[in-house]
Amino acid sequence: MAVSAFASRLGDALGSEVVRTEPEDLAVYAFDAYSEDGLPSAAIVPRDAREIGIAVRIAREHDEPIVPRGAGTGLCGGAVPSRGGLVVSFARMNRLLELDVRNRRARVQPGLINLQLSTQIARHGVFYAPDPSSQKISTIGGNVGTNAGGPHCLSYGTTTNHVLGVEYVDTFGEVRRTSVDDPGYDLTGVLVGSEGTLGIVTEVDVRLMQLPDAVRVCVAAFADVETASDAVSAIIGAGIVPTALEIMDALITRAVEAHYHAGYPENAGAVLLVEIAGAQEDVAAGEAAIARIAREHGALSWRAARDAAERDALWAARKGAAGAIGRIAPNYYIQDACVPRTRLPAVMRAIDEIARDHGLPVGNVFHAGDGNLHPLLIFDRREPREVHAVIDAGTEILRTCIAMGGTISGEHGIGYEKKETLSLVFSANDLAAMGKVRSVFDPARAFNPDKIFPTGAICGEVSQPATAASAG
Amino acid sequence: MIAKRPRAKRGANPAAYAIGRAMPSRAVEPAEAGDVAAALREAADAGEAVVVYGGGTLQRASNAPSRYDVAIGTRRLDAVAAYDPHELTVGLGAGVTLAALDRMLAEHGQFVPLDAPFPARATVGGTLAAAWAGPRRAAYGRPRDFVIGATIALADGTLASSGGMVVKNVTGYDMAKLYVGSHGTLGALVRANFKVLPAPAVRRLAVAPFDPDVRERALAHALTLSFEPAALLVIEGFRDAAGPAGSRIVALLEGSDAVVDRTTRELRSVFGAAGIAETRLLDGADAARAFQSTLDAYASSAFADDVTLLARGLPSDAAARAAAVRAALAGAETIADLHTGDVVVRTREDAAEVRAVLPRATVLAAGATREVDAWGLAPPSIDVMRAVKAEFDPRGVLAPGRFVGGI
Repeated sequence: MAVSAFASRLGDALGSEVVRTEPEDLAVYAFDAYSEDGLPSAAIVPRDAREIGIAVRIAREHDEPIVPRGAGTGLCGGAVPSRGGLVVSFARMNRLLELDVRNRRARVQPGLINLQLSTQIARHGVFYAPDPSSQKISTIGGNVGTNAGGPHCLSYGTTTNHVLGVEYVDTFGEVRRTSVDDPGYDLTGVLVGSEGTLGIVTEVDVRLMQLPDAVRVCVAAFADVETASDAVSAIIGAGIVPTALEIMDALITRAVEAHYHAGYPENAGAVLLVEIAGAQEDVAAGEAAIARIAREHGALSWRAARDAAERDALWAARKGAAGAIGRIAPNYYIQDACVPRTRLPAVMRAIDEIARDHGLPVGNVFHAGDGNLHPLLIFDRREPREVHAVIDAGTEILRTCIAMGGTISGEHGIGYEKKETLSLVFSANDLAAMGKVRSVFDPARAFNPDKIFPTGAICGEVSQPATAASAG
Repeated sequence: MIAKRPRAKRGANPAAYAIGRAMPSRAVEPAEAGDVAAALREAADAGEAVVVYGGGTLQRASNAPSRYDVAIGTRRLDAVAAYDPHELTVGLGAGVTLAALDRMLAEHGQFVPLDAPFPARATVGGTLAAAWAGPRRAAYGRPRDFVIGATIALADGTLASSGGMVVKNVTGYDMAKLYVGSHGTLGALVRANFKVLPAPAVRRLAVAPFDPDVRERALAHALTLSFEPAALLVIEGFRDAAGPAGSRIVALLEGSDAVVDRTTRELRSVFGAAGIAETRLLDGADAARAFQSTLDAYASSAFADDVTLLARGLPSDAAARAAAVRAALAGAETIADLHTGDVVVRTREDAAEVRAVLPRATVLAAGATREVDAWGLAPPSIDVMRAVKAEFDPRGVLAPGRFVGGI
């Protein structure tokens, strides 16, 4: 295939070290963990923001869209170059640049893997709190793009609460810097969670937290997901906010145990994973209080991990839940939605009914304390009936969550997958205000087009379901 | 909670909405979000300049408007739209005062750490619009981090919402971040939804006066506590802030009985070792009152001609920056926040003198006769901010001239 004028200009400007133009090289940038793909005209693996600025200017001159890419773990197609164009990979910009322990901050490049950051700084007694389940592979830059969550958001908050500023390349290819401490509009807060549609983030200033003195991880067994959800609502309702409250149903628990042997009760209808962290005295008292409420609300057993190794095993299994399902199911579609926390038992009942109506097995693994759901619908993509059923059931679940006062994404983002569904949540006026921001940062709609914003009428069309990757 | 009253009351007293010497020709006090939007539209169509006015406690934290025709008072937007204590979330009209919010949440053992000065007057909308962020943000997060949803009335007369009533939400742009800190230049906040926290069981304020000769040692020791205080301030001057006057370390301890007691013992021992003779302890309501007096001092004047400025920066050099200001300006009083890095300076000298030492200092409060530029240096992305302003307020009718860079 002949190299385009665009690709050859990129090559001239940045060299073959940085620029990829061969179709076999570009194939790896065509997809993320969503099911649709699109081949870019070129990709760059830049070493710094200056190179990205040059590439952005060339892409803009050639009217080519620009799509930033972290590790490609996103479940909503946010990193898919659906209209071709230029993909910017951060594989080389993956370093911790500065660590300031006294002031609890670090400056990192976007390609740094989330878990590596906390691993690298742990010996200083600090950590980076947002921990999406994909943290072993997903990048800080990707996390910033989606405002990623994770199990520990319950008490620590999401990515946006831990970003103090960014450096980004704007639509003119210029390198800019923001800080939450600067006077003026909070551009940092707007850029986080904008899914690459406003600019290309090239450095991130993150807030670090002090590692807790004591951590306790406990597991309770319940008869079913509804009862476990009711217990979670009761714990939160009692004004107790531990660091994590996670639920797995029977299907997920069995799949996880089969693979990880972490020590979850395999015969339980549902398990609740509780993490309590803080001062030594508080952790012991917190466990007692939570265990009591759990028992009053139907917990059949309660067990605390004895040591760090057991804790880590329980967490590794929880964070690997979606992958474990992938080993036993032909295909699965993972949904992401959020409801007010008192609605958990009701929404779990509704999801069960929706899945049954469509003849689909469903597994539930979710951040119960936040009301953030991840139903996994299991299907076989070779069966057209099942594919349709999954799409319909997924949309119905979202509509149900909206009707309960919830929303259509708690932490995965809107991306390509849910852009049409966005109109179910927001009015034309709401979307118009967001559009004003887009117009300021990216008037030509060159940054990650086809994402977030609905193109058509209000409808329930959900494209092909995703088939892999880890949950939340 | 709030009784129903008639809709928009026209012809409120404009004098109540004066900002410095600027006075509007009329004032409206709408009771519904839709009426705020309609008032904005009406003013925009007529080309009239509008200032959104909450409790007025932080009006000096931005410049007087270059034009001022209409004041929109938000105090009647005081409905609690949604509060289920079991959800740990609350939805509020922008005019709800922070004192009313605190009282309502406290009945259920909950709180939102907004830390605003003068909570009996300060409103939810005003506190957010003014980008207020107090000392406890190092422990709990900034006010912006507690906002889970917001509705704003725009100059074109529409209402635009973002976020919602759930605690995790990445559905669309996080527009509330843009509105928080916009000082009324993009629209009028009419509603904000917050996540709330369970209140700590114990609140204790430790006040430790120290002599200048043990200063370095006292500050170093204050940072060694194994449980971090919710706020840790070094106050020099500011008689009105958890006095006595003179130099003192103020530590707010919040947590369980066991942890606060352990920390108190530790604190007495480290302060004693640093040469501090006596640490005074205040508990419960006394602690809350004394801490509130400190917050009030951030936004108040002692004289008709003084000015209070805030400079953000790194926690590690906050005490040194405060000392540098005092060395340069005779009579300057300072608060250095060892956790957030904020330095607050109150002085009768020129703001330029403070900015010679702390270039990014912005104004929090000023005496009645004092004229001062609230902002100083514009941030590097001021052109992007101007573009945001032009997009949201193309006719330039919202709080013209009040914001940084003349926005």
